[in-house]
Amino acid sequence: MIDEESTLGQFGSQSALDAAGLGAELTLTLTTALHVAGALIFLSVMGALAWAWFRTTGARTWWIWAGGVAIPAGALVILVVGSTLTLAAIRAGGENATIIDVRGYQFWWDVTYDPTGDPVRDGNEIFLPLGEPVTFRLTSEDVIHSFWIPSISGKMDMIPGRVNELTVTANELGRFRGQCAEFCGLSHPLMAFEVVVVTPEEFRAFVADLRNEARDPDTIALRQGRDVFMNAGCAACHAIRGEAEGGVLGPDLSRVGARASLGAGMWPMNVGNLAGWIADVQDMKPGANMPSYNHLTGPELRAVAHYLDSLK
Amino acid sequence: MTDATITEPHEQGPILEERHPTYEEVWATPKGWRKLSSVSHRVVGKRFIVTGLIFFLIAGFLALLVRTQLIVPNNTFLDAETYNQVFTMHGTLMMFLFAIPILEGFAVYLLPLMLGARDMVFPRLGAFGYWCYLFGGIIVLSSFLFDAAPDGGWFMYTPLSTREYTEGLSADFWLIGVTFAEIASVTAAVEIIATILCTRAPGMSLTKMPIFGWYMLVTAFMIAIGFPPLIIGSLLLEAERVIGLPFFDPAMGGDPLLWQHLFWLFGHPEVYIIFLPAAGMVATMLPTFVRQPLFSYGFVVAAVVTMGFISFGLWAHHMFSTGLPTISLSLFSAASTVVTIPTGVQIFALIGTLALGRAQLKVPMLFILGFLFIFVMGGLTGVMLAAVPFNWQAHDSYFVVAHLHYVLIGGMVFPLIGAFYYWTPHFTGRMMSERLGKWAFWLMFSGFHITFFLMHITGLRGMPRRIATYPEGLGWDRLNMLSTLGSYIFAAGILIFMLDFIRHRWTGTPAGRDPWGAGTLEWLYPAVAPGHNFHAIPRVTSREPLWDDPRLLEAEAHEIDGSLRGAPRGRRETIGCHPVTGEPHQIIRLPHPTFIPLWAGVGVAVAAVALLAGAYLVAAAAAVATLVIFCIWAWEPSFTGETHNSGPDGVLPVNAVSRVSHTHVAIVGTLLIIGSLFASLCFAVLYLWNVWPSFTTTAGLADPIFAAAAAVLGLGLAVLCELGKARTNVLADMLCVLISLGAGAALLWSMQATDPLASALGATLTVTVVFVAIHCGILALWSAIMGARKLAGQVSAEQTLPELNRATYAKVTGAMLVIMALLLCAPQLGVLS
Repeated sequence: MIDEESTLGQFGSQSALDAAGLGAELTLTLTTALHVAGALIFLSVMGALAWAWFRTTGARTWWIWAGGVAIPAGALVILVVGSTLTLAAIRAGGENATIIDVRGYQFWWDVTYDPTGDPVRDGNEIFLPLGEPVTFRLTSEDVIHSFWIPSISGKMDMIPGRVNELTVTANELGRFRGQCAEFCGLSHPLMAFEVVVVTPEEFRAFVADLRNEARDPDTIALRQGRDVFMNAGCAACHAIRGEAEGGVLGPDLSRVGARASLGAGMWPMNVGNLAGWIADVQDMKPGANMPSYNHLTGPELRAVAHYLDSLK
Repeated sequence: MTDATITEPHEQGPILEERHPTYEEVWATPKGWRKLSSVSHRVVGKRFIVTGLIFFLIAGFLALLVRTQLIVPNNTFLDAETYNQVFTMHGTLMMFLFAIPILEGFAVYLLPLMLGARDMVFPRLGAFGYWCYLFGGIIVLSSFLFDAAPDGGWFMYTPLSTREYTEGLSADFWLIGVTFAEIASVTAAVEIIATILCTRAPGMSLTKMPIFGWYMLVTAFMIAIGFPPLIIGSLLLEAERVIGLPFFDPAMGGDPLLWQHLFWLFGHPEVYIIFLPAAGMVATMLPTFVRQPLFSYGFVVAAVVTMGFISFGLWAHHMFSTGLPTISLSLFSAASTVVTIPTGVQIFALIGTLALGRAQLKVPMLFILGFLFIFVMGGLTGVMLAAVPFNWQAHDSYFVVAHLHYVLIGGMVFPLIGAFYYWTPHFTGRMMSERLGKWAFWLMFSGFHITFFLMHITGLRGMPRRIATYPEGLGWDRLNMLSTLGSYIFAAGILIFMLDFIRHRWTGTPAGRDPWGAGTLEWLYPAVAPGHNFHAIPRVTSREPLWDDPRLLEAEAHEIDGSLRGAPRGRRETIGCHPVTGEPHQIIRLPHPTFIPLWAGVGVAVAAVALLAGAYLVAAAAAVATLVIFCIWAWEPSFTGETHNSGPDGVLPVNAVSRVSHTHVAIVGTLLIIGSLFASLCFAVLYLWNVWPSFTTTAGLADPIFAAAAAVLGLGLAVLCELGKARTNVLADMLCVLISLGAGAALLWSMQATDPLASALGATLTVTVVFVAIHCGILALWSAIMGARKLAGQVSAEQTLPELNRATYAKVTGAMLVIMALLLCAPQLGVLS
């Protein structure tokens, strides 16, 4: 049902010029208008400059009134009206929106669906229903981050102690890439996430499915992986529904294997990358709060990576 | 010119018997290592310019490191930590240690020459400012040696910059070093205001002032009001890091956004503070190459003043994505677009000037055309960014990186390089190369556009700023590679400029008198700068005296008729004028070379370094030592009471007691800075009250009796100083000391129940109270010095200038005490509950 190829390396998956959501589409129209008008004004001013360069017979005060006051004032009125109307259109229709909470951490995203009803957590990948308004309630647990999915909408900061709301409507099925836009420390460039736009039915099915407990490991190898997970203390920070509840300091791993990418949108999700991540997280993502588990043996790493990859 | 003006020493009172040194000797710059004691505006200005140029080259090198890291995706040329340090230091050096200081250097060098003054009006203050800038800059830069370079961005957003997320000293290097260097900016602001208003040539009314003077006057006022919010912000943040006062901690009632407000209250005017002096240089240079006066001078002046005001109402457009309410978004968006109008007026005034005649395409003119081309584009993208929805996409993306470099490189670096080509003959007596200049221009111009035009697209394709690396295939790879190659081309242009700048010193064509045929007064003397300005200060009757008064260029420069010929009393003097009319009303005595500013700078530097090293005792000792140096500085004889014949402008008093005298104007300028510092603190208090409404419980802890007593004492102080300003009276001085100390102590005492560590509001109130108390202390120290001087018999009855200045200072201190008491008593009065 869902394309599991990550957006890494997908041209335009993180571009404000490839609009696939209400905010981005309206803003793209505004952007185009602004650039056309800007180019015309620029060419006119340069034309006036070139003309004045060759003219030697004097200047007129009305040039300043026209070029410096009247024309800019007229252009500004149009700009302010256009931008205010766009702003109003972007902000309209958020009343019955689905609410999703997103918390920023150095350097990942904690996502909670249905926060006002029966909250259920996920991380670093956000599902959106096609054509329905969604209000993100954004905050941060440490420093300031900024939540930005260029293809869907403009950005909104995540500020500790505050909750900012951002209402978006996705208008195209598919996968998009979001990224932290406020400098947040050492691994700021490695703080991205995947956005998956699905039909409203699929969205509701996804959230319902998220509530289910993780599948029990059904092979010896996977059970060994689960044991490594438990013995190494991973559960202190990471939750796996039905297996290890309570860990909140790291991303919820109940469906980690189903995500398209690892390390907050930075590497394709597969067993090899998972094992490398666990052993070497400080190398892959300097400054992350998770220590490198390089004391695990090769077989242990393989087992736990396989186990995590099986959580879908 | 008559012989009499040369031969007769115009003295009243007893003729001194000993031979006075000649004018050249009086104004000579000390030789060898003693040159460090020079306080001449030429020396200080050139120090600023050369130091700024060095910081520019370092910051430019850092920019090349940034571009090299980004040339390909997933690059490992720099690790993330180094990259963050490099881009942070690039921004910090460019903004704080290059752009503003180098423009101040040009202003300090050029203003007295253009205005007809023999020096800046407070030469020692300028010299002290330079040492602060140099030492502060060295402190910031030295962080690389300790592997503690700041890495939180030049904007230092909290909470990332707090101790919890930035351990070690890196943020402290930034906060202490930059604040230290900023002393140079605010001292220069006071100096520039007083120089422009009080030392213009006879007859130079404000309407006849060269346009650069207007640009710098507005800039100086903007610095005086715009820098204090950042100084306060930095002090608060440093206090949070070191002492743990929780200003920005949401768990304690603080707010990280408070830092952003304070930062951008400074940061937005800062952009105009950088742009305006450069635009002023353009408006000075361009008419020279058209051989016609600036078109619509009055419009330009009005536009510049308007811009100064508007620039303080735009700060929140850097914060559109922080979740401001819609009404604020709309207001700040509309306000941000309005700045287009004064900018447009200035651009069209330049275009109009070009239409007045046939322009010569010399190298400075080439850079001016480059400025117009690039800056207009940057201005247009700036207007786009004022549109909130577009801003939400473009903010913190490479689009903004492109925009800000269009505005800053286009608006400041291109005019600056043009200015180097234009005024270097004045600095060194030799011309820079037209041929190399053209190479430099075309390399810079093409490299600039390759680098930064493409970044608009990179940004719209979703690349955020300040990322050390990026994954491949998202549409950013080729654009980044081209941008990096463009930056190398730009750097090659800068390199050629630097080579030319060094080369011309030895092999440049000697410049004659007024080599560009300019009309402003700085070209009066031949290009081999004599080290002193005007043997006699000519009367000015137009904005372009060298064009309109041909006698000025016909005679030898030192023979030109004017006021205050030579140095008959063996002292450095210049004419003091009325701020508006420009008519002379006093003779200003200027200081001779002295090491005092250097010692004061060293004292502050030791205190800053000790603070960084955690050696608080050493820091305190250095602070006390600095205070002693300042007292020695202040302990100089007054010359008020002397009168001398200035020549054509008649008999004038020395250092007249007047509201429009340079020292009183400087006091007003200083009070503007103090007022802005205080307003920033009050802004913080009110802001936190707004986000944390249990204001009354915290503020209510203050003792209303003592707060009210402080206010009453403050009012009494203001009245006492006002009534006593016309007389010298030791008892009044002693009374002032007692009342000031009493007011400060009462205010501090009223806060004893407030725990500054317990809440952000308590911390902010405490800091504000301490700030006001410090000003009570300054007033007490000042009065004590005044009293001591009288007891030492140094003061005669008519020397009441200090009394006049103190009265003005006491009024503001009294007002601050009253405002503070109102804030502290309000909960009791039930007004705020």
